[in-house]
Amino acid sequence: MNEAMIEVSNLTRSIRNGRRTVEILKGIDFNVAHGEFVAIMGSSGSGKSTLLGLLAGLDTPTTGDVKIAGESISYLPEDRLAQVRGKKIGFVFQSYQLIPTLTALENVLLPYELNLGSDGLARAKELLSSVGLGARMDHYPVQLSGGEQQRVAIARAFVLRPPVVLADEPTGNLDSANGTHVLDLLLEMNRTSNTTLVMVTHDPNIAALAGRRILLKDGLIVADERKAVE
Amino acid sequence: MPSLSWTSARRIAWREMRSSKGKFAFVILSVAVGVAALTGVRGFSGAFRTELLVRARSIMAADLAARMFAQPTPKEQEGLEAMEREGLHLTTVTEMVAMASAEHSLDPLLVSLKAIDPAVYPFYGAVDLAPKAVLRDVLHDNTIVVAEDLLIRLNLKVGNRVKIGDGLFTIAGVVTNEPDRLSGSFAAGPRVIVTRKGLEDAGLIAEGNRSNERFLFELPARSSDQQVAAWKERLVALLPEAQVTDYRETNPALTQGLDRATGILSLMSLVALVLGAIGVAMAMRAHLQQRMDTIAIMKSLGAGSSQIMRIYLLQTILLGTLGGLLGVTMGTAVQRFLPVLLRRLINVQPPFTLDWRAVGTGLTAGLLTTLLFTLPPLLDIRKVRPILILRRAVEQTDEPIHKAFWARLRSNWAQLLATIVILLGLSLIAATLSDSAQTGRTFAAGLGGVLIALLAAAAILLTVLRRFLRGAGLALPSAIRHGLANLYRPGNPSAALLAAVGLGVMQITTVFLMQQAVVRELRIVSSPKIPNIFLVDIANSEVEGVRKVLTSQPGVVAEPELIPVISSRITNVNGVGAKDLRLTNFPRRMLQSIQLTWSDELPPGTTVLQGEWWKPGTTVAQVAIGQRMSQRLGVTLGSHIVFSAQDKPIDAVVAAIIKSDGQHAYSRAEFILPKAPLQGFPVVWYGGAHVDPKKVGQLERAMFAAYPTVTVIDVAQALETIRQVVLQITVVIQFLSAFSIFAGMVILASSIAGTRYRRIREVVVLKTLGATRSRIATVFSIEFAVLGLVAGFTGVIFATVVARFLQRQMSIEFHLPWITDLAMMAGTAVMAVATGWIASHRVLGQKPLEVLREE
Repeated sequence: MNEAMIEVSNLTRSIRNGRRTVEILKGIDFNVAHGEFVAIMGSSGSGKSTLLGLLAGLDTPTTGDVKIAGESISYLPEDRLAQVRGKKIGFVFQSYQLIPTLTALENVLLPYELNLGSDGLARAKELLSSVGLGARMDHYPVQLSGGEQQRVAIARAFVLRPPVVLADEPTGNLDSANGTHVLDLLLEMNRTSNTTLVMVTHDPNIAALAGRRILLKDGLIVADERKAVE
Repeated sequence: MPSLSWTSARRIAWREMRSSKGKFAFVILSVAVGVAALTGVRGFSGAFRTELLVRARSIMAADLAARMFAQPTPKEQEGLEAMEREGLHLTTVTEMVAMASAEHSLDPLLVSLKAIDPAVYPFYGAVDLAPKAVLRDVLHDNTIVVAEDLLIRLNLKVGNRVKIGDGLFTIAGVVTNEPDRLSGSFAAGPRVIVTRKGLEDAGLIAEGNRSNERFLFELPARSSDQQVAAWKERLVALLPEAQVTDYRETNPALTQGLDRATGILSLMSLVALVLGAIGVAMAMRAHLQQRMDTIAIMKSLGAGSSQIMRIYLLQTILLGTLGGLLGVTMGTAVQRFLPVLLRRLINVQPPFTLDWRAVGTGLTAGLLTTLLFTLPPLLDIRKVRPILILRRAVEQTDEPIHKAFWARLRSNWAQLLATIVILLGLSLIAATLSDSAQTGRTFAAGLGGVLIALLAAAAILLTVLRRFLRGAGLALPSAIRHGLANLYRPGNPSAALLAAVGLGVMQITTVFLMQQAVVRELRIVSSPKIPNIFLVDIANSEVEGVRKVLTSQPGVVAEPELIPVISSRITNVNGVGAKDLRLTNFPRRMLQSIQLTWSDELPPGTTVLQGEWWKPGTTVAQVAIGQRMSQRLGVTLGSHIVFSAQDKPIDAVVAAIIKSDGQHAYSRAEFILPKAPLQGFPVVWYGGAHVDPKKVGQLERAMFAAYPTVTVIDVAQALETIRQVVLQITVVIQFLSAFSIFAGMVILASSIAGTRYRRIREVVVLKTLGATRSRIATVFSIEFAVLGLVAGFTGVIFATVVARFLQRQMSIEFHLPWITDLAMMAGTAVMAVATGWIASHRVLGQKPLEVLREE
């Protein structure tokens, strides 16, 4: 087994709503090895998205810790956390989350501008061409279809060659043809970049493509299965 | 650490602005209206004030005057020459009493002679003549211009000759208006104006002649109030025996009018500024609320808060600058076209000059307030959690209010710091605008206090509402329940909106109340009933007869005022003899000619500043002394002044320090005693009456026929000038305050309207569930009406308190404006509902699917 890229230990997350405290994650422990593709499954409200948010450093756990490439990220100050997110984690969202006022190319270039400051134009163009959008680089998100927007988001997630890519239902908003195309692209990029991929999905067919499946229920891991090596 | 380049930040900022043009136009308009009100009010009032000050100067014909009873010493002369070299212009006016007679008659007449240099006199204003002519063209060393009274008394006409001293002068015209008539001496006899050379040729300037010299000074153009004060101070030091006055002291009504106009106009400027700032803050807050998703996405891509702030800071600067430029253009247009609009109401036409200082102030103030007031929403960027992209749950605590307050305070320390920075910044801007650090501090402190009180009121209201709905919720009709619940639902900016609208209402109401109070006061002093002719030298036996002549004249429109005068001198103050007294800006020689008068009642137009007026019939020797005179003599309440009339001492205690409005016969009296202690002394009476200016000649003839020794001094024209100026001040104050109030309402309405974007989602969901437009409109109306009523109530209460405080500062009587207050409260609720409707109109019409597709 390769060394752990993601280490999750005793992770809990609860939110207060008035007098009630809702426990979303009740104590999660698992590690993800470098280069592994993990699918996180579970019904609605099981805590999938919350877990993904904590892995990405988008939120702070109530207790427990998340380490990315050996660095504990859970309690970092906001600006340091932003750097970790920018350099170590790529993100693909269900609803694409492109900046509406930037063109496709500018959206892909944005992580460069935010994190490296160097000229990433060639890399951004290359990635956009590789996802089939070479001719639509100057289009704004509103001028692109859902599938095209998600392909821009994939290019953006990989542009800085992050060691970890997290995806939240990346095909959830797409029809099956577009969904398949986007998934193929995502997996292809993951393979060529040797990235660790964690994907939240409730589609068993997609999960079947992953090397490992983690099943969540009511904030707890109820199953953690690895695909038999063929 | 690498960071987003300014170019990229600018690109994103600009693209965002381009993508929501309508919304940003709103923000720009808020800034623009505030800056326009500021630039317009400041620019116009500045030009108007300058123009009015020229008129005020014409009352004295100069910027500064020094009255002396002796020629300046060589050292003083040297000092005056030094001042002339520094740009001060000087001319001398000599006033004296002399005898005049017609060329071929031996009947002499006492005249009030005034010698001037027609080449430079007057520095301000003009001597109006009949037949129409320019003074310097007709007044030569062998000619004179005279009051009509002289022609009546000597039965002469223009072109005839008059003998004065050794000189023979041709009458070149009749004086219909002498600008500085009110500043000169009220000596007996008709006015005769002669050149200085003519006076010398007549042999009237000789040792021992009782003449008084007035040195008139013209300061370099555009001298500020501070420069005038500095020149005055130099003159007081140079001429210790002179009585030095500046143009602001010539007429209390005018001075008061100008001071109050200045006060209220700078209040309006500040209010316009803060209202603009409120508009900006609310608009930017609404804007950033909608950028939450974008901010969260950028954070998830690795952007730090400071990088994102850079984008929105640039946007703010751009909005502030664009709003500022638009505002300055609008303000300049107001300044340009206001006089045209007001042409029928006021005859002052300030020349239009682009006041770069007002433009610069407007732009800077606009940008600075935009930056200051967007600081809290900008700092909120730090709190945007990137998890927002995945989960929109809003965490809420249910801690007791005081614990929640301290918790919020701890987590919001940066906001607290921002608030302090805002208050400091505002106080700096206020100090710059009002030229007084004290005003700046008071304004900022007041604003801070009111803001805290308003936020507290908002917190109390929301808590009470929540408790009320918990208890009686389901018993209420659902539209009311929904409308009230809207006020405290998570994410609704009710508290901020309540504070903003409350603050705005407070400021608008304060301007309105102050404007009403100031205008009410100015109307009293510009009343058309005040005396505009004065009668000099009425013997005790003639008093009743003179009163009858006056009341029988058709031109006399108000009850004549007659006052007794007893000539005396001051021999001792608080045990110190006259020759050893320390006098300030008061010639020692004048201690020898002190005029005493009596009154058992407080005379009309006189106010007691310190001490108390005596009870009628008192026999105790006490004196009420004019405020300025008390300072010159160095006396206070309880001081003893020993007067001597006919060599009989009167030891009087200072019982009151008084101030007159300068508009009545008693206004020239500096020493008023009760009647009893002055009985038995020889008395001369002086009088005043208000006469139709066109009928003054008729009155003079009637008075001359009945009492030839009584002199009539006509100041109708001079007083009419003052009255007109004061009336014009009131018109301008009313107009500018209406403009400020209108601008304020536009800004407040835009603040309320700015919340419409956050309602789109709610409207769509309600519509999807089957709610009709009218039902949604009812829910919104209830929400806005409650908001408007509470904001109106709080704002009006504070405005009343502030107005009371300011009016006390300005010595204006306070009346509880309950009708205005009630109207403002109701008006705020109506405005809130109306704006809410107008703003929600488009939202209500939106198809649900359009919005849901964007989700």
